[in-house]
Amino acid sequence: MADTIKVDPKDKPRIGVFVCHCGTNIGGFVDVKSVAEYAKTLPDVIYATDNLYTCAEDGLVSIREGIRKHNLNRIIVASCTPRTHAPLFQATCESAGLNKYLFTFVNIREHCSWVHMKEREKGTTKARDLIRMGVARARLLIPQEEQRVDVEPSGVVIGGGVAGMTAALSLADMGFPVHLVEREAELGGFVKNLNNLYVTEKSATDTIKPLIEKTKAHKNVKLHLGSQMKSVEGFIGNYEIVIGAKGAEDIKAKVGTIIVATGALEYVPEGLYGYNQYPNVVTLTEFEILCKKKALPKMKNVAIIQCAGSRGQVKTYCSRVCCNVAIKNAINIVDNYDNMLGLAEQLGTVIEKVPVEQKVPEEIIERRRRRRGRERGEEGEADEVKLGPSEKIEVTVFNRDIMAYGVEHELTYNKAREKRVKFVRYTTDHLPRVYMEGNQLTVGYFHETLKLERTMPVDMVILSTPLVAQPDAGDLSQMLKVPLGQEGFFLEAHVKLRPVDFATDGIFVCGTCRGPADITEAVTQASAAASRAAIPMAKGYVQAEALTSVVDENKCSGCGTCIQVCPYGALRKSEKGLAEVIVAACKGCGCCGATCPEGAITMTNYTDAQLLAEAKAALQEEV
Amino acid sequence: MAENVQHAIAQKKDEPAGANEWEPKIIGFLCNWCSYAGADLCGVSRYQYPTNVRAVRVMCSTRISPHIVLELFTAGADGILVGGCHLNDCHYITGNFYTEKRLRLMKKLLEDAGIEPQRLRLEWVSASEGEKFSKIVTEFTEQVKKLGPSKVKKDAALKTRASAADGASQTFRLRALVGKELGLEKTGNVYGQKLDQTELEKLIDAATKDEFERSLILELSKQKARSVKELGQIMDVPTDKVLRHIVVLRQKNMIAMEHPDGLTPTYKAIEIGGEQ
Amino acid sequence: MTKDVMVIGGGIAGIQAALDLADKGMIVHLVEKTPSIGGRMAQLDKTFPTNDCSICILAPKMADCFSHPNTNVITYAEVVGVEGKVGSFKVKVLKKARYVDETKCTGCGECLEKCPSKVPSEFEMGLSNRKAIYMPFMQAVPRVMTIDKEHCTMITKGKCGNCKKACKREAIDYEMKDKILELEVGAIVVATGFDSWDPSSATEYGYGRYPNVFTALEYERMINAAGPTHGHIERRSDKKRPIKMAFIQCVGSRNPQVGHPYCCSVCCMHSTKESMLAREHHDDMESTIFYKDMRACAKGFWEYIERAKRDYGVRYVNSDATVQENAETHNPIVVYDVGGRQQSEEFDMVVLATTLVPRKETLELAKVLGLKADEFGFLESSERILEFGKTVVPGIYLAGYAAGPADIPESVAQGSSAAAKAVEAIVQAGG
Ligand SMILES: Cc1cc2nc3c(=O)[nH]c(=O)nc-3n(C[C@H](O)[C@H](O)[C@H](O)COP(=O)(O)OP(=O)(O)OC[C@H]3O[C@@H](n4cnc5c(N)ncnc54)[C@H](O)[C@@H]3O)c2cc1C
Ligand SMILES: Cc1cc2nc3c(=O)[nH]c(=O)nc-3n(C[C@H](O)[C@H](O)[C@H](O)COP(=O)(O)OP(=O)(O)OC[C@H]3O[C@@H](n4cnc5c(N)ncnc54)[C@H](O)[C@@H]3O)c2cc1C
Ligand code: SF4
Ligand code: SF4
Ligand code: SF4
Ligand code: SF4
Ligand code: SF4
Ligand code: FES
Repeated sequence: MADTIKVDPKDKPRIGVFVCHCGTNIGGFVDVKSVAEYAKTLPDVIYATDNLYTCAEDGLVSIREGIRKHNLNRIIVASCTPRTHAPLFQATCESAGLNKYLFTFVNIREHCSWVHMKEREKGTTKARDLIRMGVARARLLIPQEEQRVDVEPSGVVIGGGVAGMTAALSLADMGFPVHLVEREAELGGFVKNLNNLYVTEKSATDTIKPLIEKTKAHKNVKLHLGSQMKSVEGFIGNYEIVIGAKGAEDIKAKVGTIIVATGALEYVPEGLYGYNQYPNVVTLTEFEILCKKKALPKMKNVAIIQCAGSRGQVKTYCSRVCCNVAIKNAINIVDNYDNMLGLAEQLGTVIEKVPVEQKVPEEIIERRRRRRGRERGEEGEADEVKLGPSEKIEVTVFNRDIMAYGVEHELTYNKAREKRVKFVRYTTDHLPRVYMEGNQLTVGYFHETLKLERTMPVDMVILSTPLVAQPDAGDLSQMLKVPLGQEGFFLEAHVKLRPVDFATDGIFVCGTCRGPADITEAVTQASAAASRAAIPMAKGYVQAEALTSVVDENKCSGCGTCIQVCPYGALRKSEKGLAEVIVAACKGCGCCGATCPEGAITMTNYTDAQLLAEAKAALQEEV
Repeated sequence: MAENVQHAIAQKKDEPAGANEWEPKIIGFLCNWCSYAGADLCGVSRYQYPTNVRAVRVMCSTRISPHIVLELFTAGADGILVGGCHLNDCHYITGNFYTEKRLRLMKKLLEDAGIEPQRLRLEWVSASEGEKFSKIVTEFTEQVKKLGPSKVKKDAALKTRASAADGASQTFRLRALVGKELGLEKTGNVYGQKLDQTELEKLIDAATKDEFERSLILELSKQKARSVKELGQIMDVPTDKVLRHIVVLRQKNMIAMEHPDGLTPTYKAIEIGGEQ
Repeated sequence: MTKDVMVIGGGIAGIQAALDLADKGMIVHLVEKTPSIGGRMAQLDKTFPTNDCSICILAPKMADCFSHPNTNVITYAEVVGVEGKVGSFKVKVLKKARYVDETKCTGCGECLEKCPSKVPSEFEMGLSNRKAIYMPFMQAVPRVMTIDKEHCTMITKGKCGNCKKACKREAIDYEMKDKILELEVGAIVVATGFDSWDPSSATEYGYGRYPNVFTALEYERMINAAGPTHGHIERRSDKKRPIKMAFIQCVGSRNPQVGHPYCCSVCCMHSTKESMLAREHHDDMESTIFYKDMRACAKGFWEYIERAKRDYGVRYVNSDATVQENAETHNPIVVYDVGGRQQSEEFDMVVLATTLVPRKETLELAKVLGLKADEFGFLESSERILEFGKTVVPGIYLAGYAAGPADIPESVAQGSSAAAKAVEAIVQAGG
């Protein structure tokens, strides 16, 4: 690496132009030699030459030597496309000591020789014009420093469900200290409500116990139970957070990154299918709690109704997990009911009917109360349950489509059918109806193949209701300045390629707070989020390409328009009430600059003057 | 790839006749991520197109402010093509939605100035639409050829109007309105306070006309002090309206009143700090 | 002990894993079997559920991945041996001779015109030809040629040598030999993706027999502006543009008889996308999707189906379907049933959502690495619920479709997740 060449913006530009033949790719269709000759006639051009392959080692050497021999302080390469080759030539300039922002790329292959193969003369004229434009731009370039912002190598994870714990542990295992903030008194999240987990038959509590224990024990994890985020200020690498717990002093901390994992709740199907109107109509979660408590009623016929409140009925979306959870429970019923009931009988907890809300078991009332945001109590542990098939019990799943995606779910779905679980399809034109026929709970439905109304007396109706966003997700969204999507779930930066990033750098998202997902998916997203968050922390800094916005404080009136339009939250109000760029977060799109009503924002390396000079040079008649 | 190449090479020899006919100069602002990439693919695939477009690469189409476009038209550009990613594909999430809004304003200002808005074109080109890029350039070049050379260079009055449009595009009011437009529409959606898009556009169009006229008054009175009547005639705007504009401009301290003959007041633009 | 990591497979899952690792300062060796990274996603036209252009969002990632100072992208290569354990795996990589010097070739393409040997293009699903010297697609990374030794007459018969003459960079070397590279890495990520099952053997769909029956991947190439028909949807029989399109779901999948009882997770969505794209190309195109269950259950997916019905007029028919043909017009006839009654309906073109299967070579690789695969060939996680992607071999992790059906967002998340696990393992092993 040569010594850095000091280039003062006021120095007269000394431009070197390297025109490439690219074998015959350019040379075959454009008179490259004459173009290089022409370049010599342009203002401030000190040196111009043509190379057979500028990107080959000999071409690169000629650039380095040009810089040295002719004291060049601006370099132009006219060849292929900057989208693939700019890094190479920029690195070459740097290796000769020239700041890479003093390099200009002119595309005379993709945009010229290859698209004007039949028009040598006009193509050559265009190549000349393009180089003239490049020279006009190069004359106005100034060296740029890439700004670095230090990153605090620690994080905070908000939410202590499976996703939050996994994210925290992953960061901790990578060696970063992390705060884990859970608003309830215990870790575990929604899974604490569940009986067993699908695909395996393991109890939910047993499954997550090691995770909880590891989280509690890890030396890098600082747990904040019964706590919430009170405030967040700052930007990537430098967040000042305040964590508050009831009756305790606030805890202040500085962290580099934030992971949101606040989970979801189950929809309460008030007013649907006789819920809270008839006894023995419960949601999936309530059913799992009954199973777990071994407090099932006596029953012979069970109906499970899918999509209760989802896919357009109340919420627009499909909740992804409920079909497979319903299948899991259907299998549980046919396999285990005798045992569960038997055990319940032994324990003396058999209930005749699951009554409507006023009379439901403690456990469910408690859960509903919690769901509405109040405090919670302790919970018992489940005992081992022995398995055994039942010949007596019938389970019918009323569904629109069964979302048994992937390998295991589809196989389990087949298994359920083999076990005599019946699947009856309904359409939204003919929703099933739940009503009381005298004292008998009944499901009425339309048989799609026979085109007939049917009825089915049942002992219990289980409603598969969707997961819904936390009612207070909006508060967190405002505190962190990250967006919520349509149904109140957090919105990622890019649906496909940035599934766990927020558009704002330094903040990440995982688990059911970003949309319905099962545990496996939630924890995969969680370690993905940890991976993303670890990037700036492992580096210790973020470096922004010098393609950012710059606010002229003398012009800015503090109107805030730019802050509104920036998709990355890269602008904020300074203490003076004026706009201020968070260089580490700016991606250089230029939207703020084109918007600012005062014309107070310019883009580094893409100033109006540079763009206009480049474009205007095209309009010039040839000199 | 190979077939296109062979095809192009086979036809390489026959240069088109009439090499001296007028060739329009068209500037193409292409965003790095989609439209520039599409143009690259077009090259790689050897789709041929006329030589008139000179591409300027920008990171995002959203970078193109109305001022840039209008200044170039004032400088005599025959056509300007703005290329961006398809809506929802912008590398910077929402950038091209703003581009769309700004293009509307630019066209409106061109119209007010008397320059054919067809000289300005916005196209969405993805990185896989190489052929589409060549079609767009071919078509647009044809269209600009039909419109003929920019009249700005020969017609001083038109040039003044073009400058006025450029001036208007830089006013606080228009830029703030366009900057907030999308936000207003969106906020309308989120909080239910529907702000009707057509209503908003009407509002902006009216503001555009006002700002253009004011800017034109300034341009004309920069050249020399002029009376309200004279301004009204040149601009083809009723004198009472001119007067209303002048009142506003005087409040903003942008224009000064003079009494050369002691009777009819004339007005002269106050120029601060010369050219920027 | 080393902190380097190897990623096997350069599809979107592998690229994501490599970038996440490289960005953390780890050195990453990315081993890709074909001449270019990009995987299946590079072949797709648009991607659900937002219909953004696939290569537009993928190409920048491919370029980043290749030019990243911490990555060493080894294409046209395979892993053939592994020894050691987490923290220090000694990996043997077979770098196949591509007969073109990667450091000299500029991808200019001059050799292409001179090569006389035509071969059906794998990338274009055989819908067009490539040469024996080729770049699989225009945005290929690295941008260098490869000579397919089976079809190069210079290599097979010692006759031709045209490309060498055409190449001014002297990049071509017919004497090049396969090489074995030995690398030491602390952890390995496996992301070898999927293949599309060939439905010819399932005769009830007529693929291979009826010209106007296509697979979904063929169709994706066909509607792509850079594809073999420049984005024009054409019937094989008469090159005419179809108007009535049928999409048949679960072709081979959810079907124990052909050995794929599972669901591929993505095809309900991709057929919906493909129907929407047909309508976007031409207003008069009408698509019907024959399905068993419409599995559209990730974020925004059901809304996507609703939009397809409402705004794109896509018709959904809940039925199994098979294909016959009108021998005269070559119009495929779809036979299905509604409410137990058989129906048949003529279409202009049929597109089959065929089963997506793990790549065959993945099984070989599993043996080399000591991994377990399930009965279908998907690589298995040791702990399915809480540590998806961890395998029976500490230090080896899975991502993407090779570990079970996954769409792009899931593959990306799994790629990042595998990267995190690799770092954790190396840190815990004392690296
Ligand atoms: C009936 C039913 C059965 C299911 N069965 C299965 C199954 O068998 N297998 C399976 O894989 N999945 C199953 N699931 C899905 C599973 O419950 C979820 O995937 C899992 O709970 C998601 O975990 P999470 O960490 O993202 O969210 P959660 O478990 O919801 O955890 C979020 C945590 O964040 C806390 N929190 C929320 N807001 C804040 C805040 N502002 N500040 C601090 N803390 C906050 C909450 O208190 C909670 O502890 C089932 C779901 C339901 C509804
Ligand atoms: C017709 C169709 C349409 C689709 N449309 C969409 C869509 O719109 N949206 C969406 O989200 N998903 C879509 N998908 C799914 C999407 O293609 C996959 O989710 C994604 O490509 C999986 O990526 P991957 O990296 O796991 O695998 P791949 O893309 O298959 O990549 C695997 C890579 O590993 C390499 N490799 C294989 N074996 C070896 C080996 N032994 N050694 C070294 N390298 C090896 C391969 O060459 C390849 O480059 C679609 C799928 C199909 C079939
Ligand atoms: S019940 Fe099934 S289809 Fe309905 S919302 Fe839940 S997962 Fe989706
Ligand atoms: S838009 Fe311009 S004037 Fe308004 S706050 Fe931002 S920089 Fe300042
Ligand atoms: S250039 Fe773009 S990213 Fe940067 S501050 Fe302006 S609007 Fe935000
Ligand atoms: S091998 Fe030679 S001729 Fe072929 S693309 Fe590479 S450099 Fe060009
Ligand atoms: S995703 Fe749809 S088409 Fe594909 S196998 Fe599953 S159900 Fe069948
Ligand atoms: S990046 Fe292409 S329009 Fe924004």
